[in-house]
Amino acid sequence: MRAMSARWCWVCAAAGLSGLLMAGLVSGPACAQGAQIEIPIKKSSALRMGPRQPPVARTPAAPPAEGTQETIEADVSTRSVEVTTDFTGHEILVFGAIDNSQQPADENAYYDVVVVVEGTPLPVVVRRKSDVAGVWVNTSSVVFASVPSYYAIASTRPVEEVAGPKVLERHAIGFAHIKMTPAPGYQLRYNDYELAAFKAALIRLKQQEQLYVVQAKDGVTFTGRSLFRSTISLPANVPVGPLVARTFLFRDGEVVSADISRVTLERTGVERVLHNFAFRYPFTYGMFAVILAVLSGLLASAYFRREAR
Amino acid sequence: MNIYLPIAEMSVNVAVFLSMGCAVGFLSGLFGVGGGFLLTPLLIFMGVPSAVAVGTGSMQIVASSVSGAIAQYRRNNVDVKMGVVLVAGGVVGSAIGVGLVRILREIGQFDLFVSLSYVTFLGAVGGLMLIESIGSIRKARSGTASSARKTGQHSWVHGLPFKMRFHRSKLYISAVPPALIGAFVGFMAALMGVGGGFVMVPAMIYLLRVPTSVVIGTSLFQIVFVMAVTTLLQAIQNKTVDVVLAVLLIIGGVVGAQFGVVAGARLKGEQLRFLLAGLVLLVCLRIGWDLVARPSEIYSIGPVLGGL
Repeated sequence: MRAMSARWCWVCAAAGLSGLLMAGLVSGPACAQGAQIEIPIKKSSALRMGPRQPPVARTPAAPPAEGTQETIEADVSTRSVEVTTDFTGHEILVFGAIDNSQQPADENAYYDVVVVVEGTPLPVVVRRKSDVAGVWVNTSSVVFASVPSYYAIASTRPVEEVAGPKVLERHAIGFAHIKMTPAPGYQLRYNDYELAAFKAALIRLKQQEQLYVVQAKDGVTFTGRSLFRSTISLPANVPVGPLVARTFLFRDGEVVSADISRVTLERTGVERVLHNFAFRYPFTYGMFAVILAVLSGLLASAYFRREAR
Repeated sequence: MNIYLPIAEMSVNVAVFLSMGCAVGFLSGLFGVGGGFLLTPLLIFMGVPSAVAVGTGSMQIVASSVSGAIAQYRRNNVDVKMGVVLVAGGVVGSAIGVGLVRILREIGQFDLFVSLSYVTFLGAVGGLMLIESIGSIRKARSGTASSARKTGQHSWVHGLPFKMRFHRSKLYISAVPPALIGAFVGFMAALMGVGGGFVMVPAMIYLLRVPTSVVIGTSLFQIVFVMAVTTLLQAIQNKTVDVVLAVLLIIGGVVGAQFGVVAGARLKGEQLRFLLAGLVLLVCLRIGWDLVARPSEIYSIGPVLGGL
């Protein structure tokens, strides 16, 4: 059901985006009635290309035949994901289209599309144990000032094949190129080799927690000349906070165009109430916990005493 | 069915955690112990952050001991005056413990400290209990009656100042030792998520010479109040009390305890103590092994608590 309505939507979105006014008018209402998922057709360039990226070079190696530049437009199926008490993860669909696509057909692999979904950057401490008199003790640690809490990559091919390390580094694509710098002071305390070991451990542990993931081989698939789609599955333990989905269009190993869309990931319902309660009113929450414990203890024993009679 | 825990921030299987509460409840009903020393390590093995396991454990203990404490009070088995002294000490100890939890978490040594505390206390208590129970089983077989408590003996405890008269216990002793015992138990409660009955009961019997008839009631009295205060302090300072997790454990626990009590009635006291000692030592060895075995991953990651 969801897959079907989603398919409707990107058909609509693509039609609108390609600038065909008539198609846009016709498919608009169809889109609205076909899906619970809203896909506003994005025309504003405000969201595109955040300030952290330099403007993409607009002079590709081989200029397109008509002299027009390909641009990528992407959006997400769900603008906000709700973390409730029964949250067990969520799948988001990142989809879009390439304007002025020169690709003859979907199997030509003329373009590469890479989707990177990142969570909020947060400080993380990495600790290392060593053997102290027979007991394994945390003896050294490095604080990384801002590490994306979540990082998922989906691409038409493995990213190493899509572009060279310099390009990937520039756009922070791939685990090795995630921008994470040690907090001030730690750079002096450890040498580069040790810092690299800490960084590698951080990436490895995040991968073990399923928080740094590479989506399966067909992470991004083309349907037709310009439409593409990609599913990113957020695990149950995904840290709550806004997510940013960056979509890159590659041709001949260079980024031709990029787009940004955002997903909010929020606690809702009982989940939100309890979490806010615990963190905003800790005293009242503590009293509540104690009273709840006393009452449930008394209730249970009263119940079993009656049963025993 | 899975449920997302708001404080532990993980999705857990309801059935697994209910049956875990049930199993611990069964054992605590069987042996007549609080079960905190089993529950907290079990939660940590299940992947619950150790600070959350400890904080939530204290809430679960309030629920599991409150009805017992009231029943003991009704039967006049609580020395309230002694209890108040123990609670007063316990609150101070708990406050110090909760503060220490915060510091240890910030410097990344909390897990180590919890494990070391568990190995030390479980090793000592389990070892002593094992020796004692083997002794009584042997004596029971050879037919000699176990020696009763020696009364009227004076020790260094009786030479301390601030003497108080504890009518219910028929004692005239200094308030300092009970306050210190209470403080120590409160400190342990905050750090380890245990009620501390396994330390308090022997201490009251052997150090204070409180009559066995009031020991259980009085220690339960202390546990309920001190654990309630500990729950509150953990919620305020460390924000590590997960009510959803606690409710799961409480429900499982009360059900399990009913069966445990029935099963326990069929076993002799010294046999029970022998089995309990074995269980305590097993938990101790399991935690100890993790401390000394070469870990497969020497790195760990965590959020930055406090300043950078």
